[in-house]
Amino acid sequence: MFSRRDFITQGLLPVFAGSAVPAVFANGVAAAAADSPNATPSDRVLVLVQLAGGNDGLNTLIPFQDGAYHDARPTLRQDQGVLALNSQLGLHPNLKGLKARWDAGQLAIVQGVGYPNPNLSHFASMSVWETASVRGGIGDGWLGRYLNYLDRVGESPNHALEGVSAGSLVPPELRSRTPVTALQSLRTFRLQPVNEHGTQVDVENPLMKFYGAFKAAGPAPFGALLDTTLQEALQASHALQATDATYAAKGTYPSNSPIASSLKLVAETIVSGLGVRVAHVTLGGFDNHAREKPVHDKLLLDLDQALAAFMQDLEGHGLADKVLVMTWSEFGRRVKENGSAGTDHGTAAPMFLLGAPIKGGLYGQQPSLNDLDNGNLKFSTDFRSVYASVLQGYLNAPASDLLGGSFETLPLLKA
Amino acid sequence: MDDAASTTSPATTRPIWKRPVSRRSVLVTGAAGATATALAVLWKGDALSQILDHVRDLTHGYQGALGSERVRVAHLLRRAGFGATPGELDRYLAMGTAGATQALLDYRQTSNAQLEGALPAVDPNAGRGAATVGAIQGWWLQRMVQTARPLEEKMTLFWHGLLTSGLDKAGPAQMFVQNQLFRKIAMGNLDDLLKAVSKDPAMMIYLDTETNRKGKPNENYARELMELFTTGIGHYSEDDVRESARAFTGWTLQGAQQRRLTTDSVFVPRLHDDGPKTFMGKTGTFMGDDIVEMLVPLRATAERLSTRLFSFFAYPNPEPEVVHHLADTFQKNRYDIGAVVREIFAMDAFYSEKAYRALVKSPAELVAQTLKATGADANGYLAAAAAMAPMGQVLFYPPNVAGWPAGTSWINSSTLLTRINLVNGATQRMRAALPANSLDKLMSTLVDANLSPSTRDGLQAYAAAHAGDQAGLLFMVLATPEFQLN
Repeated sequence: MFSRRDFITQGLLPVFAGSAVPAVFANGVAAAAADSPNATPSDRVLVLVQLAGGNDGLNTLIPFQDGAYHDARPTLRQDQGVLALNSQLGLHPNLKGLKARWDAGQLAIVQGVGYPNPNLSHFASMSVWETASVRGGIGDGWLGRYLNYLDRVGESPNHALEGVSAGSLVPPELRSRTPVTALQSLRTFRLQPVNEHGTQVDVENPLMKFYGAFKAAGPAPFGALLDTTLQEALQASHALQATDATYAAKGTYPSNSPIASSLKLVAETIVSGLGVRVAHVTLGGFDNHAREKPVHDKLLLDLDQALAAFMQDLEGHGLADKVLVMTWSEFGRRVKENGSAGTDHGTAAPMFLLGAPIKGGLYGQQPSLNDLDNGNLKFSTDFRSVYASVLQGYLNAPASDLLGGSFETLPLLKA
Repeated sequence: MDDAASTTSPATTRPIWKRPVSRRSVLVTGAAGATATALAVLWKGDALSQILDHVRDLTHGYQGALGSERVRVAHLLRRAGFGATPGELDRYLAMGTAGATQALLDYRQTSNAQLEGALPAVDPNAGRGAATVGAIQGWWLQRMVQTARPLEEKMTLFWHGLLTSGLDKAGPAQMFVQNQLFRKIAMGNLDDLLKAVSKDPAMMIYLDTETNRKGKPNENYARELMELFTTGIGHYSEDDVRESARAFTGWTLQGAQQRRLTTDSVFVPRLHDDGPKTFMGKTGTFMGDDIVEMLVPLRATAERLSTRLFSFFAYPNPEPEVVHHLADTFQKNRYDIGAVVREIFAMDAFYSEKAYRALVKSPAELVAQTLKATGADANGYLAAAAAMAPMGQVLFYPPNVAGWPAGTSWINSSTLLTRINLVNGATQRMRAALPANSLDKLMSTLVDANLSPSTRDGLQAYAAAHAGDQAGLLFMVLATPEFQLN
């Protein structure tokens, strides 16, 4: 029996010339949706939303009754329109869509998430979260390890769309020996033919010969990388082109919003039944050392509207109970605002988990604003506990193996 | 016409050129005192061949590829510049490897008048919109393609990727000024460069120095100066970040709402915190320049810059001995950047099999080399610069303060399709006429005539089946996996 990697390494990967969805993609979510009302773990999709640059957690989940918050944030505090969740805490005024999900019991917020000896470097801390190791480094990403696990136990869908990233880069969370697909738009995700004096000449077959034998001739590791990447890209391209005609969004995605475009692209791959297991989107711009308020307000508005459209789209297609969205950021911001009406790098911040499979509510403990470490919040929940809860409870995967240690799980999911 | 080598350090009295295979001269000029042992490990014959054996474990298929002078010069032009047209390759080849290297390094002796005359007039102050941004991107791309000083543009790109600023915060006029700063000091002294960058308007906006005030310090620039620009993480404390942020107070931009347009920075004494600061164990009423002067001499800075430069020009993850040798070169030459670059091009390692095709072409390199092959008009440069975004590199707009990750991360399913499609579009719009039956010449200029049997057979079959379609044939050569590498 061949695994996908055998196909790749032995050059056996089939090339699809026709427009039909290849059979290898047919075991995806849409097929499962038609057959059974209850998603099995292998049908479930995890969507990560990275808030890059360090999201200001205190101005996202706001302790609006705490005098220390108002003292620390003379210009940045939100004192109008906070969307109260209880008598102490509320959401930023622009998170109206998330508040509606909270009211529907579909939003879990884990408070004070961080890790011991926090690193205040963007890149070092991102690496900690991406590898789920406090040492960071350039090893496999924690979701890359999950994809490897699926392959090991024979549950991999064996195609390049099992991991999808919206954008031009594959994020380190998905890094592993399992190839995944970076996707910017369906329109461009294809190989253009050559125009020879007005006649379209298809170049796929000759290029597949170049990129089928370079592994043996070219330098490691690029030979194998180039061969595999083009083969996987063409395979995914054919599948996507075949389904592009049939997808119609059932949510209202805002225009001129990159995060909305990214989530729409992810929705299309999910709705089209291409067998996506994990997806990643990024919203950048949170590193607001100066003049934070207008920028942060706009970022949260874009995030909220994009997530609202995404959830609506999935519901319209009957797939809401098969998708879980989780946000993360490399750190929060300093409690006290700086002299530039901004905030410097901080530590603990809330994580949001959204979707029909979620048991809504607050989890963990809100960090004290009066018991700080060098001006920074002390974390109360290790981020790996959240990862473990999702891996174990939602993806039915062995969390302690994949995370390299045992972490307490939180009851974030509906029974 | 040229401002000569006025910014290079006076310490370049030793021979400026050594042949590529020059273990002896490296030992003579580089080994002194405690460093001799470490150098000997690398440079003495037996040990060197051990390293090259190790290299052969990592790569394969290219034994002897750099034995031909033509391939060595083509390799040099890909690394020190943006590849070559057939005419450029012939011209540099006539100088020999040594002469070509010297000409590339001593670029201030080469007139760039032809390029300057060909460039379109650019008004970076024409507003902050897409038209202005596109104009400066096309301008820079045209420089990369047409410059008579390839290394000058390559080093400018190097600094843009290391001392990052971007259009997400700074305005196009400021990025344009910063680009000229990099071009001016690209091969000069790191101390001069970092002091100038600390006061550069684009940098001051990108890393918030412009709002860093007495009593209200902003740590952003101070942290990245150490983490990314000099020592790297692990060589400073959080207290060093806080204290040095205070030292950088006082420099600001004037013009309130116009601050994204201003291209002048100014020191305002009342905004400067002139109290004592304790930085890396020393206490004094430090200013920003004092912090730079304490960071530049540190061994960690020398090793980090050496690693970055060698990885940019030769191959990633250099051996500790290579880093050690280059860091020594940097420190002995009073922090002269050009001395390190010169040394890299003189090292055996640069022409080792490990270095051959050991880098993935960045989108800038891929696009510039493609346009050298196809030719382009003014609109062609604008279009090609704009088309770089889906390949993962937008000039003047690095993804974050760490710059572009490079290497294997340039290649994924989306970027690879985009790279091939871009080359397709460029050859369709081709202006330069190609002679018939030009496959051998194309393979020789663009991919060293060094192709896998499968690629070579495929190209010959395509040429036979599509006789007369020279644009299609050029596309096929540029779409080979070999051309994706540098």
